[in-house]
Parts: sequence; structure tokens; C-alpha cells
Amino acid sequence: MAEHHVGTEEEWLAARKELLAEEKEHMRQADELARRRRELPWVPVTKEYSFETGEGTKSLAELFDGRSQLLVYHFMMGFGYRVTEEVPGCTGCSFVADHFDGVQPHLNGHDVTLVAESIVPLEEINAYRDRMAWGFPWVSSLGSDFKYDFGAAFTEEQQENGAEFNYRHVDHPEPQREGLSVFALQDGVVHHTYSTYNRGVEALMGTFQYLDRSPLGRDPDGPGTGGSWWRRHDEY
Amino acid sequence: MPDHRVVTREEWRTEREKLLAEEKELTRRGDELTKKRQELPWVKVETEYSFETKDGTKSLADLFDGRSQLMIYHFMFGPTYETGCPVCSSIADSLTGQVAHLGARDTTLICSSRGPLEKLLAFRDRMGWEFDWVSAETDFHRDLGYFSTEEELKPWLESGNIPATVTQNAEMCGTDVAGYVAEGPGLSVFALDGGDVYGTYTSTARGLEGPAMSYYQLLDRTPAGRNESPDEPLWVRYHDEY
Repeated sequence: MAEHHVGTEEEWLAARKELLAEEKEHMRQADELARRRRELPWVPVTKEYSFETGEGTKSLAELFDGRSQLLVYHFMMGFGYRVTEEVPGCTGCSFVADHFDGVQPHLNGHDVTLVAESIVPLEEINAYRDRMAWGFPWVSSLGSDFKYDFGAAFTEEQQENGAEFNYRHVDHPEPQREGLSVFALQDGVVHHTYSTYNRGVEALMGTFQYLDRSPLGRDPDGPGTGGSWWRRHDEY
Repeated sequence: MPDHRVVTREEWRTEREKLLAEEKELTRRGDELTKKRQELPWVKVETEYSFETKDGTKSLADLFDGRSQLMIYHFMFGPTYETGCPVCSSIADSLTGQVAHLGARDTTLICSSRGPLEKLLAFRDRMGWEFDWVSAETDFHRDLGYFSTEEELKPWLESGNIPATVTQNAEMCGTDVAGYVAEGPGLSVFALDGGDVYGTYTSTARGLEGPAMSYYQLLDRTPAGRNESPDEPLWVRYHDEY
């Protein structure tokens, strides 16, 4: 067990109240950042992207599925991503995706569609999705520049000569990275409003936030160092 | 949709990068708070609580189910409710996908309510949930601060300032406002060490948003945001009633 000292109810309460004040301050900072995000300008998406879905080929505008906001999770699978045939999807992304089905109905009820995309054939996506028993929409962006244009996949040339990942230059980016991109549909035009990568996708992961409230914490060496204990949910 | 500027990719990127620096600062600050939480003292639980579960009556130590950490979500489902609180239900919707990962980190996460076990399990079936849900005696919720008596609530109930969301949620649960607000939502964390149970942390209200309501974290990344008003009832419904 984690190191700790045992105190009285009064000692605990005093320490807890002190911490609560800091938690509230942190939350206000997060509220302020959410406000700032809403003030970000929008960029019209002029390029045509097409996706293979369970209901045929769709455009980016069609992925909104009748709603005005779209979240696209860049799920690492396939091309350049070193996995065996038995374990085709990224372990970390699979962990992230375990959080999708629970929030999906609530997001949909609040004018937001959540979709995952990967650059592999749709049949491979469907087979893995069945194994993991997920229900969220997951489309194939194979053959389109979508994942590259939104900063979650890198060409061989970029892997060799460098590219921008998470808004800074990286000398040798990995073939794929995790990320979340946000789009808005207004008057028939799709706009890109936001993308986040790396620890930015932790916002999706309630599990980390739960563990951050426990004595053991989320990772043996502290937040952001993790990965060693993660498995697919059917592999623990 | 909110008012917004439309710009070139380069202009957007400059603003986005600035915001990223602040997002990183917020993440680091969150990491510091996690460390501080881990430094909280533990308090030995001396009261013997008992819980009705699908496997019979259990003690608090039994609920750890072989792991060293126990998280209990105090799910608002009181004896007068017919169905669970819709907001607690939206929280519970995410648990099924998380329990395997929490288990791998030596943590058991369950829900506890004061309502009778039969009602809890029937509602769990309707919602298609798989996590464990126990029925607790009143003292357990009371001692942790998640049950209030009618007498304590009287001044508030008679104030005439009942938010529309509370009235709406009480109706959705098939109870009245007094019955609804007797229960409180919360997350309590316990550790088991040397056979003794210790309370380490508890959190309520907006403190639940980070771990339990990821949909808010996602809405906080959309242009329209949470899109809620204090004058209107909350938009959250049971997942099978949208």
C-alpha cells in the first residue's frame, strides 16, 4: 500500500478542506480555459474527405449525423503502427475508447456526435470493434488525407525529416498518434474548431480521474508516466 | 451556435498554441493536486457497516472484493424513488467500461444507495449496467455526508427557491422533492491495510465532474460548450429516454 499516516477525523477534515479550496481553484481555471476554447476562431474545411462507414461512403459533413458538432477521435490502428494480427488496435486508444459508449447517448442528446476514425479497412475496424464489444461509430479514413491533415498520422517522409505534432516540431514523429479533433457544421460548411493530442486526450478518460483520487494514483511513477499496466479490457 | 470568428489555419494555429500552454499548466496543476490528495491522512473506519448485496450481506471490508482500494459512488436512489437519479445514472453509464481498468490498478468501484436492493437491481437491468450495486444502511450514507433528514432540509424546502432541475429530477425518479434531496451524490474512497478499512477521500457536487462526468470534459472542448442555463431544467436524461 501507498505510504500514509493515519490521522483523526478532525485532522483529515482540516486537510481535506484545505485541499478542497485548491480543487475549486483548479476547477475555476478549467472553466476559464473552456471559455477561452469557445472563443477560438474557426477554420473552414475546404478539402473533401471521404470515409467508409457501416452505411456506405460518407463526407465529413455527413459524419455529423444531423447534429451541429462533431468530435473525431483519431484511433491508432493499422499503417505503420506496430501491432500483430491478433492485437490490431492500440492499447492506449482502446483504453480511451472504453469511455465512449457511456458518454455517447448524453453527447448525442446535447447536439454532439462522437466518431472514431482509423486508417485501416473498415472490415478490420469492425472485427476489432466486435471483439471489444463497442457500439460507438468508427469509420475508416483509409485513402484520405484526413488523419494526416489533422496531425495524427505522419508520412514516411515526415517520419524521416520531421513534422509538427501537438503544435511543435518533432524531428522524427511516430507513424500515428492519438488525438481528438472537433468540428462545427454551420450553413452546410464544416469548420475545424479544436484539436488536442498527447495528455490532452486524458479529458476523455474518467478512469484516470478516479485513480487520481485514490492513494495508489494512476501510475506507479506519477501521472503522465504511465502505460505499463494498461491492457485491453479483455486481457487483464 | 455561438458567435465566432472565421480565420485562416495559420491564425488559428497561433491562438491554439497559446491556449495549449495554458492547458499544459492546468494539467500540471492537476498532477500537483493528485499528489496532495495522496498525502491526505487516512482515518480508520471504526463503525461496522453492513450492506445488502446480490451475494448476501457484506461488511465494508468485504466490498473491496480482494483489492486494496475501494471507491463507492453514492448513487441517489432513496427508499421513495422508483428509478435512480438521472444525473447519477449518466455517471453510472460510464462505469461499465472502466471497472476492468480500475480493477487492474487494484481498485474496486461500486455504487451504493439507500433504496432496497431489489429496486436497485431491477433498474440496473433496465439500464444494462454491470457494476456491483449495494443497498446500504442509512448510517453509512449519513456518516459520509450523503444523507440529510427532512428536518435539516426543511428551511431549504420551504424557501421557495427549488431549482427547476431538482423538481424535474424528482419527477423523473417518481418521488417528491423532499424524498429526492434527502440523498446526496458523492464519491468516497477507502483503503484496506492489515485488515483495517481507512477512509482516504470523499468528494461531491462539481468535484464529481472530472472522474464521473467525462461528457462535460468533452463538451468543454466544443464550440457550444455545456450550453446550460440556471433558469432551465438540466438536459440530462436516462440514456434510453433521449
